[in-house]
Amino acid sequence: MPRWGMAVDLDRCNGCAACVVACHAENNISTVGADEAARGRAKHWLRIERYWEGEFPDARLTFRPVLCQHCDNAPCEPVCPTYASHHTEDGLNAQVYNRCIGTRYCANACPYNVRFFDFFNPSWDKPLHLQLNPDVSLREAGVMEKCTFCVQRIQAAGTQASAEEREVQDGEIQPACVQSCPSKALVFGDLDDPGSRVSQLSRSPRGSKLLEDVGTRPKITYLARQSQA
Amino acid sequence: MDRRSFIKLTAVTGTSAALASCGNPENQLIRFVPAEDIVPGIAVWKPGVCPLCQAGCGLTVRVMDADADVVRNGQAGLVRIAAAKKLEGASDHPVNHGGLCARGQAAIQITYHPDRITQPLKRSGDRGSGRFEAISWDDALGDLARRLDALETAGNQRAVAFLTRPGAGFRQTLIDQFVSRFGAPAPVAYELFGDDVQRQANALSFGRHQVQTLDLANTRYLLGFGADFLGTWNSPVAQGAGYGAMRQGRLGVRGVFVQVEARMSQTGANADEWVAARPGTEGVLALGLAHVMMAEKLVPDSAGRAGAIVAGWSDGLVDYAPDRVERSTGVPAARVERLAREFAATRPAAAIVGGPPLAHSNGLFTALAVNALNALVGSVDQPGGMSFMPQLDTVAAAGLTGSPARQTIERFAADALSGRPAPDVVFIDGVNPVFTAPPAWRVREALDQAAFVVSFGSFLDETSVLADLVLPDHSFLESWSEAVPEAGAGVAVASVAPPVMRPLYDTRATGDVLLDIGRRLRRPLELPWQTFDEMLAASFSALPSATADADAWTDAQAKGVWSGPLPPRLARQTGLASPARRTFSFEAPRFDGDAQQYPFHFLPYPSTAFLDGSLAHLPWLQEMPDPLTSAMWSSWIEINPATAARLRIGDGDVVEVASSQGALQAAAVITPGIAPDVVAMPMGQGHRTFTRYASGRGVNPIEIVAAVTEPATGALAWAATRVRVSRLGPPDSRLVRFAGGMREETEERR
Repeated sequence: MPRWGMAVDLDRCNGCAACVVACHAENNISTVGADEAARGRAKHWLRIERYWEGEFPDARLTFRPVLCQHCDNAPCEPVCPTYASHHTEDGLNAQVYNRCIGTRYCANACPYNVRFFDFFNPSWDKPLHLQLNPDVSLREAGVMEKCTFCVQRIQAAGTQASAEEREVQDGEIQPACVQSCPSKALVFGDLDDPGSRVSQLSRSPRGSKLLEDVGTRPKITYLARQSQA
Repeated sequence: MDRRSFIKLTAVTGTSAALASCGNPENQLIRFVPAEDIVPGIAVWKPGVCPLCQAGCGLTVRVMDADADVVRNGQAGLVRIAAAKKLEGASDHPVNHGGLCARGQAAIQITYHPDRITQPLKRSGDRGSGRFEAISWDDALGDLARRLDALETAGNQRAVAFLTRPGAGFRQTLIDQFVSRFGAPAPVAYELFGDDVQRQANALSFGRHQVQTLDLANTRYLLGFGADFLGTWNSPVAQGAGYGAMRQGRLGVRGVFVQVEARMSQTGANADEWVAARPGTEGVLALGLAHVMMAEKLVPDSAGRAGAIVAGWSDGLVDYAPDRVERSTGVPAARVERLAREFAATRPAAAIVGGPPLAHSNGLFTALAVNALNALVGSVDQPGGMSFMPQLDTVAAAGLTGSPARQTIERFAADALSGRPAPDVVFIDGVNPVFTAPPAWRVREALDQAAFVVSFGSFLDETSVLADLVLPDHSFLESWSEAVPEAGAGVAVASVAPPVMRPLYDTRATGDVLLDIGRRLRRPLELPWQTFDEMLAASFSALPSATADADAWTDAQAKGVWSGPLPPRLARQTGLASPARRTFSFEAPRFDGDAQQYPFHFLPYPSTAFLDGSLAHLPWLQEMPDPLTSAMWSSWIEINPATAARLRIGDGDVVEVASSQGALQAAAVITPGIAPDVVAMPMGQGHRTFTRYASGRGVNPIEIVAAVTEPATGALAWAATRVRVSRLGPPDSRLVRFAGGMREETEERR
């Protein structure tokens, strides 16, 4: 059984936000409009964070794409009264929308702020709905939604591989964000396969986990942005 | 489907079967059988071409079945169609290598936009009122042909103007043919953030009237002068791929990146070192570096033609000694010397200039200075440096002759307003100059002079709303699409793709419409093709085939791209007939507005989401947090913290920005990434008319930009306006941000 994870090379990432829109396009994430966005209801399963250091003229900025860290020790899971937030065998931190009753305990427990509550039923001004991805279910009002590592793509690749009686190859599965990234900053794959690119990158001396010390054991490794030698 | 409609449908089916003998039974059954070459639930992938910028990235489009309200075979109804679902970068495309930027990802919302124009329209209210009524294609084209015939009869063909975007693709070539065969003046090309100054400089320095391609993947030291090459400039996805490889693609080698710009762009935010030179003095810094390198004998003095046209080059650029550079640019002399030594010591190294530094009255000089610096370090046509990509000559490929000419929009408007000649019929394709040109050029007033304005637009924007006739184009997914990029790859590239899906509405491909009008005229234009795809077929068939088992046209359609070595007769000749006869020296940039009255430089910059505003109608891009501020659905003005403190402006406060041209109000975003004497505002918002998502939202910075130009090219010097800034009041609801303030300690500081 694979254990899916990701490596994010902050030295390659340049903050272009291609991944942000790719995620919306793949996962049927509805836009909420300016008024609701002003109330903090915009949903971005993946966002670009900014870390400013220094003052003018020595200001420095580092971008960091932040998405669900798919923690091995996920704080969102034990707090869910309905087991909507749970761990799959292949290591995904999954959300079963049909079980979710909207307590939002999981969002409160998550230290990464990557869970988003649907305050209303999703709607698309017709015919924008024609773009919807039929492989991804829509989330109704009162449900938490979050990054799935594009589980629909993981499953499709697995089905294809088993139909062809072979294993899933490293690099065969690309979540939408990984696929769109112009500078190849994002790498996805099986952390338990020591030869996979993601597990090699995860062992990099540049690697660290986000808020490592809270003990969540995230499956996303950030490779530090380097400085001029 | 409820029970009632099921019964209705069954009745229709039965009737259809009964009528089968007197009609075409396939047409009756088409509602129930997915006819569009699609198996329900199974995705297929088709090639496409991204239409949003000049980069010409290749797409792979995921197509699946969907139920849509469309007209098929003359019947309106809910039909199972093959619908585009997701755009991906084409993995083997020589420009984008599988990547696709945020804007490209959102392009699919153009096709499915709820406010798309679904059929030909003619104006029914006052011009600009936005009131239109339906008209049939036949009536619309007949009416237009009659107007053109009347001009021809009167010998007044020069009263036709064609406004388009710059570019060297087949669509532009067809427009050129249409215009020249009719006898009209050359098309008017306008793009706010265009690269005319850069091309002109490259022609003077290197004999190539073309934007350069960067080999970032192999460079070890990159010196940027304002070019937002990872965000909005030139070929950002190709450059993003190169950037990733430059940083982490080589074992043990990490390329260094230094960016010179007064406002930290998304690209500049990634630099190892950010150098805020005074606006309009970037060329002085470039020559200051060259001076140090030559004075210290760090490199051979020769920079060939690129150096020879810079005044004082042969004397070692004595006017650009580090202390004088410091006085001019504000960059300390010691830093100039250190940067020069680093740049000279690292091979391969490259310099790149674009964006704000060229948007000054002395922009041409700045570009020439950076070109000379490149020549000095030997980065021209070298791995890890800059080069000029061979480009297909679409005119030659189409079997035609002649070289395209272009007029500036400033000249068009001035001529129209002075009545020489008064434009009679004005065509508008792919540009919105009423929104993107400075008010002082009076484009809107010029269009009011025209008797008849025809737009090919898919949306009512500030320009197309003035049209008398709207002949809506297909979306790029519904028609043949093509692009002939000028930069971004090592070999010649021509992207082409057949329609990905059938049209949703009663629209027609603009190329086909132009050919149709040409046939309807009393004196037909006799273009050699019936349809636009015939033109593409004829042109691509003239190319050498990349594979042995298919001709170039078949192969290109299947892959979505042709690339490879070009025979000389099909390569665009970008050289200049003769080198410049004069040398260029630094002239202080000319700014609109007195420095006392208007103490700040105003920088309107291309938005990561919307570029020049042409993408503000896409909800995904409206809700995409800006990478530097996390702002969504908003306009804002960026102010340095010290300046803000002096003016008692807090983060989010409403401020007024005023130039000699007018005033705007926007929320302040206080950021350390901008010089104290500069304020910046993204382009894109402030549309009066541009669909439900963009209309009436934010402000348009171009409204306060003065009409200063770069004299050699006539390009707008969009960074040459000065403004004053004052606080109006506390934060209100106009600024929406996904994250909180700019820094974590903002709360503590209050």
